[in-house]
Amino acid sequence: MTSSLLASALRHFQNGRSILLQNASVVGPMSNLGNFQSLNGNNTTFGGSVTFVQTRGSRVKTRLTHPRNTWPKRRRERNDQELTADNQAFLNKVVYDKYGPAHFDWRAENTGMPFISPLKQIIYERGEWEPRSIRTGVIGRKIGIHPMWDKDGNRMLTTLVQVTDNHVLKYIPPETVEKNYGPRFKRKDVGLLLVGAESTDPQRFTKEYLNVFDESGVPPKTKTARFMVTPNAKLQPGTPLYATHFKVGQRVEVFGHTVDHGFQGVMKRWGFKGMPASHGVTKSHRRGGNTGGGGEKARVWPGTKLPGHMGNRWRKLLGQHIIRINTKYNVLYIRGHAVMGEVGSFVTICDSFLSCAEEMDKSTLPFPTHYPEESEEPIPEEYYAPNIYNFADPSIVFEDKR
Amino acid sequence: MNRNGPSGFTEADGTIENSSNHEISTLRLLTNSSKHTETKSICQKYPYVSAMEENFAPFRFVYPEFLPDPNIKWRNRVREKLERMDMLKRRSNLDIPEFYVGSILSVTLSDRNAPGKTNTFVGICIQREGTAMRSIFTLRNIVDGHGVEIAYDLYNPTILNISCLRLEKRLDENLRYLRDAPAQYSTFPFDMVPELRSANVPVPVNPIKVKLNPRPWSAKWHLWDLKGVEDSSEQILEPWEMRRFDRWKFAEGFDTNKYDLMRAYRSTIPAEEQTEIYNEVHQQLANLSASLRKQKRKRTFLKPQKTV
Repeated sequence: MTSSLLASALRHFQNGRSILLQNASVVGPMSNLGNFQSLNGNNTTFGGSVTFVQTRGSRVKTRLTHPRNTWPKRRRERNDQELTADNQAFLNKVVYDKYGPAHFDWRAENTGMPFISPLKQIIYERGEWEPRSIRTGVIGRKIGIHPMWDKDGNRMLTTLVQVTDNHVLKYIPPETVEKNYGPRFKRKDVGLLLVGAESTDPQRFTKEYLNVFDESGVPPKTKTARFMVTPNAKLQPGTPLYATHFKVGQRVEVFGHTVDHGFQGVMKRWGFKGMPASHGVTKSHRRGGNTGGGGEKARVWPGTKLPGHMGNRWRKLLGQHIIRINTKYNVLYIRGHAVMGEVGSFVTICDSFLSCAEEMDKSTLPFPTHYPEESEEPIPEEYYAPNIYNFADPSIVFEDKR
Repeated sequence: MNRNGPSGFTEADGTIENSSNHEISTLRLLTNSSKHTETKSICQKYPYVSAMEENFAPFRFVYPEFLPDPNIKWRNRVREKLERMDMLKRRSNLDIPEFYVGSILSVTLSDRNAPGKTNTFVGICIQREGTAMRSIFTLRNIVDGHGVEIAYDLYNPTILNISCLRLEKRLDENLRYLRDAPAQYSTFPFDMVPELRSANVPVPVNPIKVKLNPRPWSAKWHLWDLKGVEDSSEQILEPWEMRRFDRWKFAEGFDTNKYDLMRAYRSTIPAEEQTEIYNEVHQQLANLSASLRKQKRKRTFLKPQKTV
C-alpha cells in the first residue's frame, strides 16, 4: 500500500512539473494540480514512463496556487502626475539604454525573436543527455486554430501556440530547492528553472520584482513559469528559448487555464439532461432535480453537483502531438483543438512523460535546449511531421494499383 | 495597425501585356475595377478613399476567404499571416477560379474508393462559408431523382480540379431554398461544357425568381427576405401572423440595422485592413492565376477506359 502511495506521489510530482505563478518567487510551494487518479499501478520508477488515466470528479479543489506573503509585490502604484514630460522622457531613455526596445507586443505581426542570444559570457557548462533527464519547457500563447491534412487526405484541426519572447530567468539547484521545500518534494535530485515570457516596461513594477530579473539581465516579463529540470539540463539565465526546443512528431504536455464560462447552470456545467419542455413539467426545465437522499446523512453532501462558476481552471493535457513547427514566427502546431483557453491565453508546454511518448527517442531532442546560432545549416522555415501534407506539395493523388 | 505604402501597384500595370488569359485575373481587377461600378471613380466621390483602397475593393468578392473572421475574440495577426501563406501555397498547386453563389462548378476529388481513383461532381454553388483554410462551398445537383448536396473544403488537398462552368451571381447570398423548389432549378448535366465569357464583362446577375413547391417546406422561407423567390407571402400568412411577423421584425431591428454603425463595424473587416491584406497577396495571386490557367489548358487528357 505504501509503495503505491509513494508511486502516486511520484506521479503527481512528475506530472505536476510546471506551475504558472502570479508573482515570480524564487521558490514557491509545490502543490498538487487537479484531481488525478491513476488506474494503472505499473511503471512507477523514478523518471520512468507512466501509464496514466485522468478522471474528472466533482470534488475538485479549484484554487491551488495562492499569492503568498513571501512573494514580492509585483505592480507598482504609479502616480504619473508627479513626473513632468521631460522627466518621463528621460526615464524612457534610461530604460531604452539598459534594455533596448523592451516592449514585446504579442498582437503585432512580429516574427519570432532574432536568433541572437543575449548572452555574452558563458558560465554554465552545457550538460549532456542521459536517460531519465528532464529538460525545460516553454511558455506560449494560444493564437488560434488551423486545419491540416495528412497524406491520406484525412483532415484534422491543429491549435497554434506561439512561443513568445522566452528567456530563462533563474536556475535554482536541487540543494536549495530541498532546503526550502524539503517535506513537500519527494525527489531530491531535481532543480528548478524559472522561465519568463514577453518583456514589458520595467516602470510598471516594484524594485523587489525587478530584482528577480537581475541575474538574467533581461527586461521584466509579463508571465513566468517554473519547470523542474535535472541538473544536467540547467540553462544559463538569459538563454532564449524558441519553438525549435521541440521536435516535430514529439508528444508534449500542455498546461493552462480553461475558458471562463462564468456562472453556469447544471446542464452546461455538469451535463445534466434537464427535464421536458412540456407534459406538465412546472418550472424545472433546466434544473438539477434531486440533491440527495434522506436517512442518517440527511443533508446535501459536499461535492454535490450544483450550479456555480465554470471554467478558468488549471488543466493539463497529456500526450499532445506536435505536427508542425514554424521557425520564423516561433509557432507550434499542436494536433487537435483541445488546447485550453481563449485565443491569447498563456500555456506552458513541456515534454510528455507518457509511456507512448517513448516512441520518439528522447536522446534526439535538443538538449538542454536548441541553440539556433550554433547550427551550421540554415534553419528551415517549416518543419512537418512525416505523414502531414505540406501545402506546397502537389495535390494528393491515390495510385491505381491495378 | 501598420499601413503599407502602395508597393506593387505600378508593377501590376506594367505586366498587363504579359498576361494572356481570357478569364478573370487579379490584374484585370486592379485596372478595370472602376469600370464595373459607377462612371465616376469612388476616389472622386469620396476623397477619404485612397486609390489603393478603390483598386483593392473588388478583391473581397473574388477572394473572400483571405479576409479573417471579424470576431475580435479570434483575431490574431500572426495566425492570419500564416493562414495566408498556406493559402497561397495551396493556390500555387490548384487553380481556384472566381465563383459566386449561383455559379455552376465542377469539382474533381481524389477518391480512394472510386473507379479511376477520382470522383467528379457538378453542381450549383448554394452557399459559401468560412474564412481562411476552413472555407467551404456547397454544390447541389439532382442525381437519379435525388437531391444531392456536397460541401467541399476549398483548400482540401485531395481536390484535383475546380472549374467554373457557368459564372454568374444570384439575388440571394445562399440558395438553400432550392431544396423546396422544383427539380428543374437544381438539375445540371454532369457533362456540361464550360461557358466562355470575355474578361472585361462584369459578372452577370441571374434575376430568376424561383417558384417554390407547395408547403410543407424544410424552413420558413416566407419569413426570410429572399429576393430570388417568387413572393407569395400574402397567400401563406394569416393577417394576424403577418402582424406578429412585423412586430418580430421590428424587435429584431430589421429596419434599423442599416443605421447601426457598430453592428456593421463588428461584422466586417475595415477597408484599410482589407487593403493591407490584399496589397500583401495580390502580386502572388496575379502570378499564380496566369501560370495555373496555362497548365490547366495543357493538362486536358482523358484516362484510357476499358471498353471490353
